[in-house]
Amino acid sequence: MTAPAQPQQHPSEDDPRIMLDGQVGQYEQVPPYPPRTEREAEFYTLGDGEMFLNMGPQHPSTHGVLRVVLKISGEKVVDLDPVLGYLHRGVEKLCENSDYHHIISQIDPLEYVSSLFMEWAPVMAFEKLLDVQVPRRAEYIRVLTGEMLRIASHALFQGWMALDLGGLTPILYSFIERDEIVEALAALTGQRMLFNYFRIGGVNGDLNHEFMSRVGDWMSRALVQHEANIGLLNENEIFVRRMRGIGKVDRDMALRMGVTGPNIRAAGVPFDVRRAHPYSVYPELEFNVPVRGTKDGGDSLDRYLLRLDEVRESIRIIDQCLHEMPDGPVMARMPRLMRPRPGRAWAAVESPRGLFGTYVISDGTDQPFRFRVHDPSFVHLQLVGMLMKDNLIADTMAVMASLDPVMGGIDK
Amino acid sequence: MTAATRSLRQVATVGRIVIPLLVIFLIVAPVATVLVAQAIGPWLISVLNSNIGILRFVVAITAILLFSIPAAFIIIYMELKVIAYMNLRVGPNRVLPAGAAHSVVAGLKVLTKEDFTPNSADRLVFTWAPVLVFLTAVMTFMVVPFGPGLVGAPLNIGLLYLFAVGGMTVVGLLLAGWSSFNKYSLLGGLRSAAQVVSYEIPLTLSVVGLILLAGSMSIDSIARQQSGWVWDWFVFRQPLGALIFFIAGVAEANRTPFDLTEADSEIVAGFATEYSGMRFGFLFFAEYVNVFIMSALIVTLFFGAWNAPVDVNWLLHLVGVGPLSIAFDPGQLGGNLVALAAVVPLVVTLVLAAPFYLLRPEKPVWQSLLIGFLLLNLLLVGVLGLSAYVDWDWVAGLIWFMVKAFAFVFVFVWMRGTFPRVRIDQLMGFAWKWLLPASLLNLFATALAIILLKSAGIN
Repeated sequence: MTAPAQPQQHPSEDDPRIMLDGQVGQYEQVPPYPPRTEREAEFYTLGDGEMFLNMGPQHPSTHGVLRVVLKISGEKVVDLDPVLGYLHRGVEKLCENSDYHHIISQIDPLEYVSSLFMEWAPVMAFEKLLDVQVPRRAEYIRVLTGEMLRIASHALFQGWMALDLGGLTPILYSFIERDEIVEALAALTGQRMLFNYFRIGGVNGDLNHEFMSRVGDWMSRALVQHEANIGLLNENEIFVRRMRGIGKVDRDMALRMGVTGPNIRAAGVPFDVRRAHPYSVYPELEFNVPVRGTKDGGDSLDRYLLRLDEVRESIRIIDQCLHEMPDGPVMARMPRLMRPRPGRAWAAVESPRGLFGTYVISDGTDQPFRFRVHDPSFVHLQLVGMLMKDNLIADTMAVMASLDPVMGGIDK
Repeated sequence: MTAATRSLRQVATVGRIVIPLLVIFLIVAPVATVLVAQAIGPWLISVLNSNIGILRFVVAITAILLFSIPAAFIIIYMELKVIAYMNLRVGPNRVLPAGAAHSVVAGLKVLTKEDFTPNSADRLVFTWAPVLVFLTAVMTFMVVPFGPGLVGAPLNIGLLYLFAVGGMTVVGLLLAGWSSFNKYSLLGGLRSAAQVVSYEIPLTLSVVGLILLAGSMSIDSIARQQSGWVWDWFVFRQPLGALIFFIAGVAEANRTPFDLTEADSEIVAGFATEYSGMRFGFLFFAEYVNVFIMSALIVTLFFGAWNAPVDVNWLLHLVGVGPLSIAFDPGQLGGNLVALAAVVPLVVTLVLAAPFYLLRPEKPVWQSLLIGFLLLNLLLVGVLGLSAYVDWDWVAGLIWFMVKAFAFVFVFVWMRGTFPRVRIDQLMGFAWKWLLPASLLNLFATALAIILLKSAGIN
């Protein structure tokens, strides 16, 4: 005698009864579809006493809309899987369908905390395609504004770092530091965040009185203010102990993974695009490339402290720019409609997060045939999976914050 | 009659119900109350007299429940405002001047929110966990002496009761975390269990040295032994114990830097993630009530309880005056009292208003009069407060206790504004590797000192 046939009706996903009637195990099936790769199959198989913990996309501390699936055993992170794409806009494709002027405003919001660098790289690539000689005053203005924004970005990094470790106050001090810079840039460009200031062949508008007075005001106490801000964290035993020894990136791993920017300099490799592949007027300026970390590599504290060193160097660069600013035009003579010769160009700048590069292929029309972006945050996020094994949940936040990823750039 | 009926017809429907009710309440109710009181008053008083213990308990627990909510409101407001100024912000500034009623309005908001229970939650446990958390917090108030004689239940094993009941908070947090059917909540609940159980041990051990010194577990007796000067406070005889008690107390109250149970950058809101409405409110209030209790305990055990830092009587004796007391019976003035009550406020108001009027003759008179009246009120409050302070030792005790307790609440808030959070392994390591040996050392040293002093014949 056979059992009566059960009606095999799969309940709708919206049916609330699915929550009541289902087995508890049904919630553990993450993701609901069969695994697509071996790595996925391995990751989504739970061992004894393990469970998944979803951090994001609406989590307080994932710097935007990153989703990280943690496989945890108690407080220990066994494995982790960053899931990207919640902020994907298709910037590269958008840029391929815009003409060369419009690309500057399209690419601006990639890394929204340091957007001048997002403008700088494509503008440099287009200038290579068009064989334009940028006026020296324009180059100085680019360096000046860029280094100011680097300080703003690093200040914000410091605040985020503290916030992810549970400190409430430093981020507000950081915002004060950042606000002065951003207000000065707003006087120059009209925007506080997405400046849209660099142009192919120069910059949009010369330095004005309000900008100069604000910069002078800020520069007179920039170092003092910076030192005062970092005192609350750097001399805090809890903060230092939480950062030391976690998330160690050694030299080999950094080179193998293509890490750039402060993260590789904190691992003991003195690689800086401004010195390694000089661009703009950086060869004329005096500044050091700060390096930290031992031969075992650098930990989160090294990465944090290195960014503070960079702020001091940036203040030096700004000082030199202000003193050596040449006279002259800020814009080369450019045709209204740009049709570069067919060809390809690569340009990279040292953004606050590392090497930010763009690769352009022109087919002779007024739009690029191909436009590609290399974003440092994307590379750095790959490290998280390697660094997090056998750490604690709280360390995930500390390591991720110390790598300083910005989701806009990662998801493009 | 017609005029009254016509007027009544003109008011709205609600008024037609409310006005007669008002008449009843204003005229009938007082008369009835007096009659009833005359009828059963003596009997009621005799019944209450014979059950004075129960009456005292009911009054105490009502007073404590009524006190705990405003205390939590004040601490919440203090935290918002103090941290705001530390962050160079303004903080709440909308409700009343300087946003003084901000936390009250936030409390009302919590009351009006949806009371949501997740589908898969364990309903019974989920519902009662916040109640358990809040009640244990409030129950510890019962043995805290707010002033001489101002104690809910003067137990002779007050400290034991305190740690027993205080340790029950963790059960509530664990239940809240477990019953929510949420992984963040579960982690938060387990973290709080690990943390509170670990820190309970140094917390309790740090007080044992004090018990040896005081020779009593009654909090009231410990408080009385600290009367006199500042250096009679137990913190100067048990500095290490006070330090350990403070650190472990911060961890017990789940406050920064030990607020791992609700680490928002890691596990969202910990055990409170799934709670909404007033259930969340209970958890929230309980946290702040715990902060106050920890401050109150530190003050009671180590910082002189309700005692003033200076020995006033000794000072007065030095000058040559006996103990102060204002022995003034208004009844002895007789009929003059009425005259005084009619004349003195008027005269004082005019006297106080006069300088303001003379200095700014161009401003209207009523402004000066208003200022004079307000000053008179301030003066009266000051005089009455001073006489109460001098006459009744419990008023003086309450004031000193509150000042000291809120000073420690400020320290708690200050720490929240300054410190990052520790990691779970650092937290446990600190409790077991440092605090526990230190508290044992403290106990050993205290016991040794007592034995040596006794054998030497001192004290």
